[in-house]
Amino acid sequence: MNAYIYDDFLNKSRYRRAINRVEIRLTDLGLNGKIIRLGAIKNIKDVIQAEMKNGIKNIIAVGNNETVNKVVSSMIANKTYGFFQKDVLFSIIPIGGNNSIAHSFGIKKEEDACNILLARRVQKIDVAYAGNNIFLNKAELFSNDAVVEIDDDYHLELNRKANIKIININDDNYLAFKNKIDSNDNNLNLIVSGRNQDNTFITSKHIKINGTGELILDETISVPMPTEIGIIEQKINVIVGKDRSFN
Amino acid sequence: MFNKDSKFEKFKDAETIIGASIKVKGNFNGQGDIVVEGMLEGSLKTAANVFVGEKAKVSANIEASEALINGEINGNIKVKKYLAIGETAKINGDVQCGEISIERGASITGQIIVSAEDSKKGDSKKEKIELEA
Repeated sequence: MNAYIYDDFLNKSRYRRAINRVEIRLTDLGLNGKIIRLGAIKNIKDVIQAEMKNGIKNIIAVGNNETVNKVVSSMIANKTYGFFQKDVLFSIIPIGGNNSIAHSFGIKKEEDACNILLARRVQKIDVAYAGNNIFLNKAELFSNDAVVEIDDDYHLELNRKANIKIININDDNYLAFKNKIDSNDNNLNLIVSGRNQDNTFITSKHIKINGTGELILDETISVPMPTEIGIIEQKINVIVGKDRSFN
Repeated sequence: MFNKDSKFEKFKDAETIIGASIKVKGNFNGQGDIVVEGMLEGSLKTAANVFVGEKAKVSANIEASEALINGEINGNIKVKKYLAIGETAKINGDVQCGEISIERGASITGQIIVSAEDSKKGDSKKEKIELEA
């Protein structure tokens, strides 16, 4: 009933101990399942589609933000996902660095992840896209000449020194306006943070970004500009911890 | 005075906030409260309330349910219910609203129509004032 998708970087010996700890804990809790190693397969979409057809209930990405991106992209890209959407849950066992998505889910360490899987606290969340990539938490804009067009109605001209984030689900407990962000409202939130609490907050369904520069999705994937950002139709049901950073 | 007005306390939870360093161009349509602290050109329309900050510069027609204006507006303002104009406000355009309060020091160049028809049915009151403070 559980499929654990191990990223290929976990083959390195330095992660062996963490993996062993996780596998022992999962066995103790009766949560063991099928292990799929990304290094050994070429088409993850086909593998996940086959598992969903076979009745898998929980798909767990074991690795970091990049692993989450690969697994969620494969889940929602499947033709069968719409049918299985209600039944299939997604979660993360964070191992290694760059795990801001797991942290936003309230999953800080690999041992916590096992207990959180057992508790099965489920929340439905939006999935955002930027160009041909998806993201769960945020897209950060790095540009000196970006023009941001909101819902084809109006556009923003931005100060060069501004810190610009497009947020789907919040991963920052100290973020201004964090209480305004809803993880399941089919909307994105554009936050521009300037000096002296000069902050901008705009809610939108569709954002076009023109100019030169790049967007960094979930601190992992670089997307060149110009690009379009929005929310995809499918949502995912995720298993989260009580210390998650979003509502 | 208006900053302490309980009617406008909820602006802290506004749906949209345009910061001082932002310039917006185009037609801004919303359903929730909007705070403008920066520059806006085009039009601004919401079913809820608008707050225009002291340093804001708005070159747009504004339509809202209620509004508090403290900045510079070049355009017409149409407010269904209560419009509060603060001492730092500078308005170049016509104003139409259900109820109004204008603080000493505010500058308005244009026609003001205060019609209670929208806010209170059957108790109509119309005033036309032309002010240049």
